[in-house]
Amino acid sequence: MKKVVACYKWVIDEADIRVEEKDHSLNFERAKYKISEYDRNAIEAGALLNEEKGCEFLAVTCGPNVEASLKDVLSRGPASISYVNEEWLADVDSSVTSKILAGIIKKIGNVDLVICGEGSSDDYSQQVGPRLAALLGYASVTFVNKLDITEEGIKVERKLEDGVEVLEVKGPAVVTVLPDINKPRIPSLKQILAAKKKPTEKISLKEIGFDINASQPKLKTLSISGTVMERKNMQINTDGLSIKDAALKLVKQLNADGSLA
Amino acid sequence: MPEEKFDCIIVGAGPAGSTAGFLLANAGLEVLIIERGTFAGSKNMTGGRLYSHSLEKIISDFASVAPVERKVVKETITMLTNDSAVSIDFQSQQLNQAQKESYTVLRADFDQWLAGKAEDAGAILAPGVRVDDLLFKDGKVTGVIAGEDEMEADVVILADGVNSLLAQKAGLKVELKPNQVAVGVKEVIELPAQVIEDRFGLNKGEGAARIFVGNCTKGKIGGGFLYTNKNSLSLGLVFTLADLAESQLTVPQMLEEFKSHPVIKPLIKDGKLVEYSAHLVPEAGLNMLPKLYSDGVMVVGDAAGLVINAGYTVRGMDLAIASGEAASKAIITAKEQDDYSAASLARYQDLLDRSFVMQDLKQYQKFPEFMENPRIFNEYPQLVVNIFKDMFIVDGSPGKPLRKKVLNHAKQVGLVNLLKDAWKGVKAL
Ligand SMILES: Cc1cc2nc3c(=O)[nH]c(=O)nc-3n(C[C@H](O)[C@H](O)[C@H](O)COP(=O)(O)OP(=O)(O)OC[C@H]3O[C@@H](n4cnc5c(N)ncnc54)[C@H](O)[C@@H]3O)c2cc1C
Repeated sequence: MKKVVACYKWVIDEADIRVEEKDHSLNFERAKYKISEYDRNAIEAGALLNEEKGCEFLAVTCGPNVEASLKDVLSRGPASISYVNEEWLADVDSSVTSKILAGIIKKIGNVDLVICGEGSSDDYSQQVGPRLAALLGYASVTFVNKLDITEEGIKVERKLEDGVEVLEVKGPAVVTVLPDINKPRIPSLKQILAAKKKPTEKISLKEIGFDINASQPKLKTLSISGTVMERKNMQINTDGLSIKDAALKLVKQLNADGSLA
Repeated sequence: MPEEKFDCIIVGAGPAGSTAGFLLANAGLEVLIIERGTFAGSKNMTGGRLYSHSLEKIISDFASVAPVERKVVKETITMLTNDSAVSIDFQSQQLNQAQKESYTVLRADFDQWLAGKAEDAGAILAPGVRVDDLLFKDGKVTGVIAGEDEMEADVVILADGVNSLLAQKAGLKVELKPNQVAVGVKEVIELPAQVIEDRFGLNKGEGAARIFVGNCTKGKIGGGFLYTNKNSLSLGLVFTLADLAESQLTVPQMLEEFKSHPVIKPLIKDGKLVEYSAHLVPEAGLNMLPKLYSDGVMVVGDAAGLVINAGYTVRGMDLAIASGEAASKAIITAKEQDDYSAASLARYQDLLDRSFVMQDLKQYQKFPEFMENPRIFNEYPQLVVNIFKDMFIVDGSPGKPLRKKVLNHAKQVGLVNLLKDAWKGVKAL
């Protein structure tokens, strides 16, 4: 039986982030967390391999406050979750994240396939998958929009800018998936109830031999600010302008703004 | 595979459902609460004021731990006409006393907290799941159906809110009629705490509740409300649905006009709209009371229409909580006697009858009818405003004695009408 692991990131829901009008700084006050969008696809891909191909399917994560994610993720298919929960992981870069995830995956052992989302909804660095592959010594396949496990190995389709590439991967691999690979499920009542009985394993940094001092993040975020679309708030059809005149006025305005060029 | 079976399944994690879930789990029962929102409170709305008494009895001093916004220490009723307003303020130490106090709340936070209490007590919460139907066996409710899944329980509590389709499926009630429900719309408008406190004359952490009658609903039956939260205002309108059909304006238009009324505008100035919602309010009270229970099933809170709509203000959360409590007590006894028949669950109705819930509903039974008098929303606010205009507007024209001023205005409405309405009002209360 093949062993499949999905990695996911527990991120701030971008819908809850507000951009302050005065300085375009980000306000996280009302922000809730969610499973990073493409990681939902990664989890669904693993769940399908379990249901359709009988693979063993587990999930892993690391981050601050990831315990809040466990119930939700378990209701989406994995048999268990192994995770590292550390406050300071809030400010780390992909190099640190991938080292920790690689540590957890090595600890699980004999993993045939690791599935990640192509990029996370927050930083979208697109690095964790390939870095994991390097750290684990696995093959790395990105932009995957079809995934299957056969006797011969792992079969994938990569969606490229102007074409489709079909590959067969021998040996263990890390694949990063695109959102159109599947439609993540809405967990059913029974899946939610079953999730409450599934095990989770909290892993310490020591257990995976992770040395904080030797693995400081190499990137430091100096600032993040939102881009705001300024609206002109102009009303064209004022003073009883006829539709024709209003349309002409609108075209003139759009031309003046360079919007039609 | 042997199926899991719960002692009780609760549909809906609003105040009614979560209260019942909390008390049942505390008593050691196996409880499943199913909520269709992605989390409890995610889609729920309320005007914003929770009268504390019923929850206080269950979780004493809850306000010190629950995410309540502000304690209401200042009540204002304002009568509006097009361009004028007369307000009456009420401030009292009594508003501060335990069990008499009220708090403004935002449901996304408050409902999550209350559902969390139920979970902490041992109830299982399944969010993001909609119950589609009930399971029946020999005419008894034996569980719920959600999508492909069926789940059994000894008893099902329907706490699914005003438009309870499940209560209809259980044969407890018939479809809502337009004159039994009002529609409420609300905006949450963000402002810094300091600005709110300055604008409404409040000390830190204190809150104000304002209700409006008259022009805000364009003379339609209903009223406006404004509650202060920590960092925002809840501003909204409630109208009778039947009345709305004849209105010239759409609901969002009415709310826009309300917001630009010269009395409201400065209160929300520089505020940022962060949420808009609309919801039904059951308002026929006892006149629409469904059957509250049947074999293996009971209905609580808004689903049972346990709401007092006094036209200008809506009270439902404290009744929802009390009904959840009464239902849970009846179920705890039912469990002891292993009897979930209608006869056993009748205890729920008994408990409600003896509580403030039914007594208050009785008291307000004639009130909706009384409020349906258009004079209350048109002529009277104008009358009061006119009297005050005569008293306070000095423009050099010769003054008249106050008695005459008042009488002149009263005559316009018709003294007989005025007396009749006053008498009806007294009787209705
Ligand atoms: C505009 C407005 C202003 C109000 N102002 C006040 C006020 O100031 N003070 C006050 O006390 N009351 C007020 N109320 C009334 C108060 O909000 C309600 O009485 C109260 O919310 C009722 O609680 P409940 O638990 O019965 O129902 P709800 O709070 O409606 O909860 C029902 C829950 O059931 C869930 N649900 C529904 N159907 C299903 C299903 N099929 N499967 C799973 N889950 C389902 C819903 O998602 C929801 O979470 C106001 C109401 C409105 C609309």
